[in-house]
Amino acid sequence: MARFAVPCGTIVFCLLAYWLSTQFDRVPPILLRGMQPEDFPQMVLLLIMALSVLVMIFDKPIEHDPMTFNVWTSLGLFVVFALLSQIDLFLGLGVFAGALAYTWGERRLLGIGLVSVLSPTLIFLLFDQVFQIRFPRGLLTNIWYG
Amino acid sequence: MEPLFAGLYALMDPQLLVLLFAATLGGVIIGALPGLNATTGAALLLPFTITMEPIPAIAILTTIYCAATFAGAITAILINTPGTSASATTCLDGYPLAQRGEAGRALGMATVSSTIGGIISVICLMLAAPLLARMAYNFAPPEYFALTVFGISMLATIGDGTPLKNIIAGALGVLLATVGKDLLTTVERFTFGFNELSEGIGFVPVMIGIFGISELLVQAEQLQGERKLIEMKAIKLPSREDYRRVWKTILRSSGIGTFIGILPAEGATVASMIGYNEARRWSKTPEEFGKGAIEGIAGSEAANNAATGGAMVPTLALGIPGSPTAAVILAGLMIHGLQPGPTMFTEQAEFAYAIFWAMLLVNITFIFVGLFGAKIFARVTFVPVQILWPIVFTFSIVGAYALDQSMLDVYIALASGVIGYFMRRFGYSVVPLAIGLILGGMLEKRLGQSLIMLDDQWWLMFARPLSLLFFVLTILALFGPFFWRLFTQRDSINSTGK
Repeated sequence: MARFAVPCGTIVFCLLAYWLSTQFDRVPPILLRGMQPEDFPQMVLLLIMALSVLVMIFDKPIEHDPMTFNVWTSLGLFVVFALLSQIDLFLGLGVFAGALAYTWGERRLLGIGLVSVLSPTLIFLLFDQVFQIRFPRGLLTNIWYG
Repeated sequence: MEPLFAGLYALMDPQLLVLLFAATLGGVIIGALPGLNATTGAALLLPFTITMEPIPAIAILTTIYCAATFAGAITAILINTPGTSASATTCLDGYPLAQRGEAGRALGMATVSSTIGGIISVICLMLAAPLLARMAYNFAPPEYFALTVFGISMLATIGDGTPLKNIIAGALGVLLATVGKDLLTTVERFTFGFNELSEGIGFVPVMIGIFGISELLVQAEQLQGERKLIEMKAIKLPSREDYRRVWKTILRSSGIGTFIGILPAEGATVASMIGYNEARRWSKTPEEFGKGAIEGIAGSEAANNAATGGAMVPTLALGIPGSPTAAVILAGLMIHGLQPGPTMFTEQAEFAYAIFWAMLLVNITFIFVGLFGAKIFARVTFVPVQILWPIVFTFSIVGAYALDQSMLDVYIALASGVIGYFMRRFGYSVVPLAIGLILGGMLEKRLGQSLIMLDDQWWLMFARPLSLLFFVLTILALFGPFFWRLFTQRDSINSTGK
């Protein structure tokens, strides 16, 4: 199934991208030097589509186990992180790191505290104080920035 | 000669030397940690170097490259788990030797071979890169375009995927590079109204995603693995008898590693495999290989460390990455506003030589780190993955944000991680994607310049001897293995008479 599904998915993606590329602004021929802006992406997209067809014909299918529970959980936690980071980047990171450690089998409170509180705090301080990086304001970062 | 010494002088800042020593230790830890390798380590540490001056920044990245490649041998020998894929062949003989109670001897041999291989390759780098750059100095856009096409064609043979899938992954990288303003016409492409995308998709978030975050998902699949540390009393230098047995192997593998490293996109993994196979082929006792042959360790380790120096030759001289980690270093150079290529050796020669000296320095530091610290670094492997990977994720996300201080980069890193995981799952290597992303911009720019130069008569590119040579090499790189297989099949049919 994956033998055809992945190349077919790639071709659909490329067709969509090709259609999008036809919507780019064009340079009037009198001003044009070299290629139109859509020419190069379209060449690459055609190449990918042609190669995907070849993959369907020639490539041997890969046998692999179904995705494990841990992978699904980790992917789900990515979504949780993406949503929480809207409220505060470090809140998202802390919750993600703690939950990931827990779902991967960490049961010691110290271990979970280390990854969810201590490490994000230290990394925040390192980037804020040493590298002078300004993080987006949020629920927790406002405590620091005031 | 002046830039050579100016480069050395630039490195002689005590603060920088301490930083490089710390980077060596950091690289060794990265190489020993499960799932992390030189490429991931360099990608994760790239944001840390943003605020630094170019020389310390790139010296740190190259130091991590060399140190992490070397460190893979420690875990390969002591726990039968190669810290990096380049040390996979070291397991074959290193672990059996360790099981026989000769872990110290195996690690000593790995350290000495790595050091010699690394030093030989850096000397080759010092000699070859300026020469190659001088040759390329007269390249016009068509030659550069053909060279970049050749560099991309070499993607077919790297990574875990099949050649077809590798080229698709590389082309996807090239496609990603077209996001943003077209360099020649300034028309916006695939930006979907995001202002942040008009400068294109950043290398850093994509690399952090495909190398770091996707590895987190791969690790999620392998949580049950158990590792056992071999008892090791002390590390000892190889005996005179060992040296007598392996000196030819070390020299041969150093040559192989340097040559493989110089080939665009080929890296330490391929070098170590060829180095190991050649060591076995030339050995008087090939039957010992796989059971604890000291030549096996020397062959593999000298080759994979020699490849690091070799890989920097096309990276610095031509701007074509010689390996996946060199691609990350190339991205680092570009972030610092440096343009690798022939002009680097005329306009920024001091900088180029400072990198060479840094690599030489780290290779000498291996001796001390390898001989005195291996026992400690092997224990790093036992950091529980459920502690390590949440911290790596936090680093990855903050690192992705740090470069442009944009939340969009965080989501790009996250999306790249998920895409990278599924690519790996379905047999598409992520390395060509990264290299395609880096080379894509150059490829389009050089094609555009060539068309302007040749008045849109693209076929004239084939009338230029050097471009034609690169196009022929491209065809050989893409179809050579296929024709070779057909040729050897026909040969075996003829010889068996069937």
